[in-house]
Amino acid sequence: MSTALHAGLGLLRQAMLLAGIAIAVFLLIRVVPGDVVDAMALEGSLDDDAIVALRAELGLDAGALTQFRIWAARALSGDFGTSLRFDRPAAELILAAAPTTIGLAALALAAGLALGIGLATAAVLWPRSPLPALVEGLNLWSIALPTFCVGLAAILVFSVWLGWLPIIGQWLSPVVILGIDIGGQVAKPLFEDLKEAATAAHIRTARAKGLSPVRIVLRHLLPNALTTVVALGGLILAGMIGGALTMEVLFGLPGLGTLAYQAISGRDYPVIQAVVLIFAAGVVLVNGLADLAQRALDPRLRR
Amino acid sequence: MSASATAGMPRAGGTGGLALGLAVLGFALLAGVFGPSLVPHDPLVQELAARNAPPDALHWLGRDHLGRDVLARLVAGTRISLAVALGATLLAVGLGAGLGLVAEALGRWPSFLVFGAFDMVRAMPSILLALTLMVALGIGIWPLILALGVAFAPHMALVARATWRREGSAGYVAAARVMGASSLATLWRHVLPNIAGALVTQAAIIMPRAITTESVLSFFGLGVSPETPSWGRMIAGASRYAESAPHAVLAPVLALCIATLGFALVGNRLRLALDPLRERGR
Repeated sequence: MSTALHAGLGLLRQAMLLAGIAIAVFLLIRVVPGDVVDAMALEGSLDDDAIVALRAELGLDAGALTQFRIWAARALSGDFGTSLRFDRPAAELILAAAPTTIGLAALALAAGLALGIGLATAAVLWPRSPLPALVEGLNLWSIALPTFCVGLAAILVFSVWLGWLPIIGQWLSPVVILGIDIGGQVAKPLFEDLKEAATAAHIRTARAKGLSPVRIVLRHLLPNALTTVVALGGLILAGMIGGALTMEVLFGLPGLGTLAYQAISGRDYPVIQAVVLIFAAGVVLVNGLADLAQRALDPRLRR
Repeated sequence: MSASATAGMPRAGGTGGLALGLAVLGFALLAGVFGPSLVPHDPLVQELAARNAPPDALHWLGRDHLGRDVLARLVAGTRISLAVALGATLLAVGLGAGLGLVAEALGRWPSFLVFGAFDMVRAMPSILLALTLMVALGIGIWPLILALGVAFAPHMALVARATWRREGSAGYVAAARVMGASSLATLWRHVLPNIAGALVTQAAIIMPRAITTESVLSFFGLGVSPETPSWGRMIAGASRYAESAPHAVLAPVLALCIATLGFALVGNRLRLALDPLRERGR
């Protein structure tokens, strides 16, 4: 199968996934008993005629299919409806919150990759040092201790007990906590991969011709391991979304996670829908990109 | 070659880790089952005069922001958090492995449909999916179990399919089919016992994640109902008073950390011991 055809099929699959998720999210939120008009009627300001008129105005009297078509068409053009709480377009709220989340994710990802790749490489270079054990330990850390727990513990220790950091509004704790989590997820498989790659013939050749171990690792070993990191992309991203949701709320950062939290507390369904869709679109997009990148990086997958 | 490199290296999650993990799980289970009848306070009774009171001889872990006994809530929360996680894991096994295996056994089209649906669910991170489901279903213990079970089912289904495909090429499956057993009978009588180890391992991996996700959802106000004591609800309620009453946050946070650590240690060990897929890498 040619690369272009495969990429096209991959794209089609991702697009179908996204459409499926959009339908699912729409239906799920629609299942919620009661709509905006019900809520307003409960507050007592509407009579029966006004209820019918308002439903018609908001398009809530149309069939589910029509409603979905209208909603999807609007969502595709960037209109996710209006927040019931803030009386501002949901898209505007998302645009305002996105930079924080993207910044947090980018910083945590950079810290995590530096830690994971650095540690795995060092552990392969010095296999008799305690470094391989550290790789195992870090991996167990990220499996066993969810970032939610670590974040709460960090607040209690560093903010409440020691008083070193403010509880809210600081980036250091969330970046370090998410970074360690990502580092632990990356280091172990990367270390295993590098260890196996180190036995390959071209590494033996490089060693035999007298290259320094550092040069062998940097020039001949690490490029092979890049695919491992890319393959972990989806897993890392899923962790980052859970992390963003909880870290932002715990540390009071005004990102998408906090927006979702406020929207959920306020039963602000258009905003909830929009945030969930944006997150899902992000995951689908990154998974698709990771798949393409892996093909580009690893000639064995192209065949 | 990897054997020589890892020899002499302390293995994380070794037998020491297993013992520790099992001890933690045993303790948590005992606390969840017998704790509520051993602690002489009611987890729901409020004593507003003693709000955020620090630990004393009568109330070993102090009181929370509504003057409720933290220890009583902690053990009641242990019961609820563990029960929800267990229920969700069982549902994930039933849905994921059950549907997945039956679809695989029935042939190409059922398998394509079922795994297409699972793929769609899997594209969303489980926390996000569970969150969306909870928004739709409303709060409560049963919706929570349902949401978590559905969110983790695809992971189970993938493991079930991978093990089924590996077993499908084994001689005993062909022998059973030649002897005239139907595909479902072969699945039930012959394949299932052979892949049970892998399924149990995956369940052990899902369990701590279900515990954490339950806490996060409750923290978001989407888990169990507000007065029900679960670890996440306790954290959500007490975290606003973390500065004046850190003991009320510390107790559920420590319980959550220790429980997930215990489950992860056991799960990790099970994976090394039982999971036949692990030779193929992650």
